[in-house]
Amino acid sequence: MKRDETTVGIVILIFGGVTTLLSLRMPIGTFRAAGTGLFPLLLGIILMILSGFFLLNLLLRKEKELEKKEAPVEAAPRSLKPVILFLGMMALAALFFNSLGYPLVAFLLMVALLKILGLKRWPVNIILSLATAAASYFLFVQWLKIPLPKGWLGI
Amino acid sequence: MFESLQGLMNGFGIATTAQNLFYCLMGAIVGTLVGVLPGLGPIAGIALLIPATYGLNATSAIIMLAGIYYGAMYGGSTTSILLNVPGETASVITCIDGYQMAQKGRAGPALAMCAIGSFVAGTIGIFGLVFLAPPLAEAALAFGPPEYFSLMAFGFIVLSNVTGTSLIKSLMMAVVGLIIGTIGLDPVAGDARFAFDYAPLLGGIEFVAVAIGLFGIGEVLANVERPPEVLGQRVLVPRLRELFPTLQDLKRSIGAILRGTGIGFGVGLVPGPAPVIATYASYMTEKKVSKHPEEFGKGAIEGVAGPESANNSACQSAFIPLFVLGIPFAPPTAILLGALMIHGVTPGPMMIGQHPELFWGVIASMYIGNFVLLLLNLPFVPFFANILRIPKNILLPLVILFCITGMYTVNNSVFDIWMMLLFGALGFMMRKWAYEGAPLLLALVLGPKLEAAFRQSLMISHGNFGIFVNRPVSLVFLLGALIFLSAPLLKPVWRRAQGIRRKGG
Amino acid sequence: MFKKIFFILLTLAVGAVPLYGAEFPTKEVQIIIPWAAGGATDLIFRALAATTGKYLGKAVVVVNRPGGAGAVGYTEGMQAKPDGYILTAAVTPLTIVPHQVKTAFTYNNFAPILNVVDDPSMFLVRSDAPWKSLKEFLDYARKNPDMITVGNSGAGGGVHLVALAFERAAGVKFNHIPFAGGGPSITAILGGHVNAVSVSPPEGISQVQAGKLKIIALFANKRLEMFPDVPTVKEQGVDFAMGMWRGLVTPQGTPPEVIKKLHDAFKKGMEDPVLIKNAKDMAVNLSYVGPEDFGKLMAHDHDFYGKLVSEIKK
Repeated sequence: MKRDETTVGIVILIFGGVTTLLSLRMPIGTFRAAGTGLFPLLLGIILMILSGFFLLNLLLRKEKELEKKEAPVEAAPRSLKPVILFLGMMALAALFFNSLGYPLVAFLLMVALLKILGLKRWPVNIILSLATAAASYFLFVQWLKIPLPKGWLGI
Repeated sequence: MFESLQGLMNGFGIATTAQNLFYCLMGAIVGTLVGVLPGLGPIAGIALLIPATYGLNATSAIIMLAGIYYGAMYGGSTTSILLNVPGETASVITCIDGYQMAQKGRAGPALAMCAIGSFVAGTIGIFGLVFLAPPLAEAALAFGPPEYFSLMAFGFIVLSNVTGTSLIKSLMMAVVGLIIGTIGLDPVAGDARFAFDYAPLLGGIEFVAVAIGLFGIGEVLANVERPPEVLGQRVLVPRLRELFPTLQDLKRSIGAILRGTGIGFGVGLVPGPAPVIATYASYMTEKKVSKHPEEFGKGAIEGVAGPESANNSACQSAFIPLFVLGIPFAPPTAILLGALMIHGVTPGPMMIGQHPELFWGVIASMYIGNFVLLLLNLPFVPFFANILRIPKNILLPLVILFCITGMYTVNNSVFDIWMMLLFGALGFMMRKWAYEGAPLLLALVLGPKLEAAFRQSLMISHGNFGIFVNRPVSLVFLLGALIFLSAPLLKPVWRRAQGIRRKGG
Repeated sequence: MFKKIFFILLTLAVGAVPLYGAEFPTKEVQIIIPWAAGGATDLIFRALAATTGKYLGKAVVVVNRPGGAGAVGYTEGMQAKPDGYILTAAVTPLTIVPHQVKTAFTYNNFAPILNVVDDPSMFLVRSDAPWKSLKEFLDYARKNPDMITVGNSGAGGGVHLVALAFERAAGVKFNHIPFAGGGPSITAILGGHVNAVSVSPPEGISQVQAGKLKIIALFANKRLEMFPDVPTVKEQGVDFAMGMWRGLVTPQGTPPEVIKKLHDAFKKGMEDPVLIKNAKDMAVNLSYVGPEDFGKLMAHDHDFYGKLVSEIKK
């Protein structure tokens, strides 16, 4: 747990550092006539100071203290795989959003997500996805007249 | 004051004609729908429906548009509570405790409390509007760039102190939010920053994408981590009795509601994204005055009642600068301004004198709108609460679809969807390592304004930092920020001092 | 057999094109406003959108894309499909901003439809300000360079440049404070946080009507209809007049028939009595200019502001 916290702290420190470096490339100006880079520069420096502080704090605390604050007993095992699959499916949906058009993407996405979460019976899956895609199409595109991309199928 | 009362009576007469009641109801319903869909907020709703109001007379048109504005505020809290997806920007805070309450099977009381709190806030707010409008508007004008800056700095420090358990982690998140807020165009000079010549980044990262990503998608992913058997379970089926707030809930909330109303009303007068700030301010206050602060973040009803009331009354007082000064302080009121002008009404100091029936008609109808929304929302509470009975493995994909659709409708931009996903992943990871999303979000919203205020102040003062402390209002806020910043550090010292004294005497 | 299918498809494809063109518009038309809602450009185009809808046959909707003195909105407008459904409100800054920052667009990326408004700019001060006339104002400015704070609706934006150009014409120096739009700058002056603001109608008009603000400098060639007692700076010895035009454009490459349809509809919208009344109430000066002349106007101003910006930068 402590190692994770340290890693995150370091990531934030690097983020602050990158911000600072990139800001230096922009005109800084003076306080009277601030340049574009002044504010991000200040922020980058502040972030580095804060994360430095944070990391220092972590190092100084005793191991025992941290162990006590550990996460409570796990209720059920957790697995990262569905999360990654979920994100992957959503990314694909974003990728094909414009080319395939909204209703089709909505349908396919629902099918995929339901399957990942364990809905094994295909007929139920397809019907549910179809119903959802159709319902949202009618609600948003036809009734509320909100522009959603028309793809391939022309709808 | 007597004229005001008379004007109000006339207003009620106008607002209760069958025609105007109908428009009010229409607006409220459309607004609620629009508010429930994440992303599509009152701005989009009002803008979408302005063409539909062309055929109406000015008063009816404004009544309908105001109804949409309110309805959207009410609707936004529904998805915040049920799905942890902020329906629109001001509902983000409601997600924190509202969602937790829903998880414990108390979605009904949460939803009901929102409606009740908003209604009470609306009622009190109307009186404030009627009697205090002109002096308040003048007070709002006293806020110049230095006051603005100090107010926001104060807000940041206090906020970071209140959510989550680690001050430094929240501060870091706030600064990260500020940095993300700098992406895009410099608010003062207009040069591109961190945009790497990539056009979609020029406009900066869309706040809604971050909000829905961090809270909505992040929460979904956190749920997805669990195995299918857990997901297939249904949430405890609440009995009818449990759908409504208990007497204890009401008792605890009444203070929060009243405080929230006051805070929201005051904050709503200040230019900028007032409803959002008002909700954060109310949450901070409630946590500080509560007898059980440890409950916050786990389902404290005050954490829902207070912010929602603040939200509603901030929306009310946002109308004051619009009607009294003719200046819109936030995008929704700006659109209303446009609508008013199209209908031949020029808001400004003369409006109340020139078009009293419009002004009072709208005020009265805002009150009626509040009432209508209460009636609309309360019966729907069981219906909404039951949405949670859908097994998670079906509900979660629906939520995802919902989020993606809503996100797209804001800017018609697939890039926004990618941002939402990115922040969804980030939100998921932040949950694992106990970092709070609320400070980041507020920072993102306020960042550009903070910077603009900072730079404007220094330009006015020719680089002299004294401008921040020479002005009384600004000084007060800065001192407050200092106190809140040093409090966590001083507390252990204070306690030690107390301990020594006890032992000694 | 395949040849038959091919020919059918070809006919359909060919048939679909004129079908699409002849039916313009098949859905609503959007106008991108590169500034926040409630500002001068926003208000006049919302009013115009309201009246044009019926002449066009489909609704005209306004969309705000604020940021970077117009850069965000213009970039988006330039990249839109040239099918006539996404128009952009072209205002003088379109010809100014490309000289100040590196933008992806210039006026050349757009095809002109028509110009709608030509408004003078002006300086407003509070009615309780110590300067009762332009002369007093300029005298004070000369004695105290860089002290009078003048708010504007955005650094590098139209009215900011007007203020800078006026400085040169009058031989004074102001302290320019940028705000995020006309609304915030008016708020600032009402609160007394700046000494003056540089604006263009209808910004500030209702406050002047109510007596809270007054026009201390009018940069026009002739007096305003709504305030006939206010002299122009030309009348008072400073040879300077600068205003802001506001028109509509569409991305380069839009078919000419579509442009003609849009032009005709908007022109009728401009001549609609409701719009004329709205403009009058806002003290906005309607000034129709057709597409070719509008194009020439933009080209002329592009060169003019190019020279002005480089001179000011020196």
